[in-house]
Amino acid sequence: MDILPQLIVNIIIAGAIYALVALGFNLIYGATKFFNLAHGVIAAVGGYAVFYFAKTLGWNVYLAVIIGVLLAGIAGYGLDKFVYLPLRKRKASNMVLLVASLGAFTAIQAVIAILFTSQFKTLSYSVGTQRIFEIFDGVITQTQLIILMSVALITAGLILLLYKTRFGKAVRAMSDDEEVAKIVGINTNRIIGRIFFIGSAIAGLAGILVGFDTGIEPTMGLGLLLKGVIASIIGGVGNIYGGVMGAFLLGFVENFGIWKISGEWKDAIAFALLIVFLLFRPKGIMNK
Amino acid sequence: MEYLIHLAILFTVYAMLGVSLNLVVGYTGLLSLTHAAFYGIGSYTTAILLTQSGVDFFPSVVLGIILTLIASFLIGLVLSKFRDDYYALGSFGFNAIAFAVFLNWQNLTRGPLGIPGISKPELFGIDFSNNFNFLMLVLAFLGLVYLASRFIVNSSFGRVLKSIREDEEAIQVFGYNTLYFKLAVFMIGAGMAAIAGSFFASYITFIDPSGFTLMESVFILVIIILGGLANLRGSVLGALFLILLPEILRFVGFPSSVAAQMRQLVYGLILILLMLYRPQGLLGEYKI
Repeated sequence: MDILPQLIVNIIIAGAIYALVALGFNLIYGATKFFNLAHGVIAAVGGYAVFYFAKTLGWNVYLAVIIGVLLAGIAGYGLDKFVYLPLRKRKASNMVLLVASLGAFTAIQAVIAILFTSQFKTLSYSVGTQRIFEIFDGVITQTQLIILMSVALITAGLILLLYKTRFGKAVRAMSDDEEVAKIVGINTNRIIGRIFFIGSAIAGLAGILVGFDTGIEPTMGLGLLLKGVIASIIGGVGNIYGGVMGAFLLGFVENFGIWKISGEWKDAIAFALLIVFLLFRPKGIMNK
Repeated sequence: MEYLIHLAILFTVYAMLGVSLNLVVGYTGLLSLTHAAFYGIGSYTTAILLTQSGVDFFPSVVLGIILTLIASFLIGLVLSKFRDDYYALGSFGFNAIAFAVFLNWQNLTRGPLGIPGISKPELFGIDFSNNFNFLMLVLAFLGLVYLASRFIVNSSFGRVLKSIREDEEAIQVFGYNTLYFKLAVFMIGAGMAAIAGSFFASYITFIDPSGFTLMESVFILVIIILGGLANLRGSVLGALFLILLPEILRFVGFPSSVAAQMRQLVYGLILILLMLYRPQGLLGEYKI
């Protein structure tokens, strides 16, 4: 059997998940200009919220997913309100914000591990009995199909939000120049709060989808964050299209690397790609 | 008493790591999150040489330092191209790559199984398998590392480092090639971390890749930020506090099943609170 169709399917799915993380990350970076390392653990918050409501309490799955996404958004919003906003008001440097987000990441991950133990859990109800679709010679599960559709939907929705609404206009103005945006009367801190909510909710969705596709564990945030960050940087940080392109490029390089070298080196390959980009094209594919 | 000596040895190892990282982060202003990689190279060199080739402890330390210097030269060469948050992110990446190497180069490191049965050193007929003697030996090395670091930061070389931290362009105008200085201090810090790693491996007698993850780098960073950036005494103090912290938590009566996570939570909170209220740490002279 030819391996290529399945490889392409895998690349698209990996790319789609990285794209979700990168979308939220880029949105937040565009407005605040610092690397929010807590972004990944927010994804884990979403995944574990669904686990708690759907599996432990036995609520309806769809309801649990909605709650999970909202909770992730609220977690991100809360982080901004109680940690990043006070720091911004004090004109703290990006490095201080970065270290604070590193602290938030460490602390939230520990809380999740305390509440839910460190074991690997899956959100899916029907392990092994999932519907499977065949495309050419590749196999794709129902969950993965949902992942692809939600990525397409969210990307489209985000582009509409950014380019067709007043809110989006304000966000773009801030990404260009926060000072000037402030001068023309945009309440930047309120906008940043909302951006944190939206970006974190998207991250939460990513965590939930990963949970249905493979599973969740408290340390899942780090992996997702790193892939999202790498995707954003190689695509062009702060650029929505760039993030998506970077995500698929990362998925491509990773899966090709796995095929040619070996699966264990996946993370190392991803980072090697990042470092190559940082050295030769630090602004990414899209940004000049 | 045995237990106190055990804690004292751990403290000494981490004080060494803290002091060496402070040279890079505190004095030069390069936020490196890859220190655990060098610590790991030192550990693995000693572990492999002692268990497989019958080389003595001290030659293995020297070889560990040499290997680490080579690795840090190459990594530092790449990292020197970055600044601030990109530097942090790039160094993040190298730690992940180093971890992948420890985990996957199974012929050499035995991967996740780790290397057991590492022996303790012997010198001039003094047997260092006695923990008290071992403590004295590590303390002596901590003293050497500390004095060397103090000499470095008080020398003209150290003054250049500090001016790189304050304003790299200004010092370049004066004709200093900052690349050499950044590279040199990065390598010195890495070499000292390798010494700490050799002692750690020999003392614990068993190492596996989980000791050299990104979280370990974060832990060392917490030590120096808590103690104070650009203050060597602060790093020693920070190491003392953070090594004693689990014991304090135990006295307060946290269940030991979540002890590791509890510690992680406290590290995270320490980082956030420090960034919010005292970004220069307890004794620090420099704010990131």
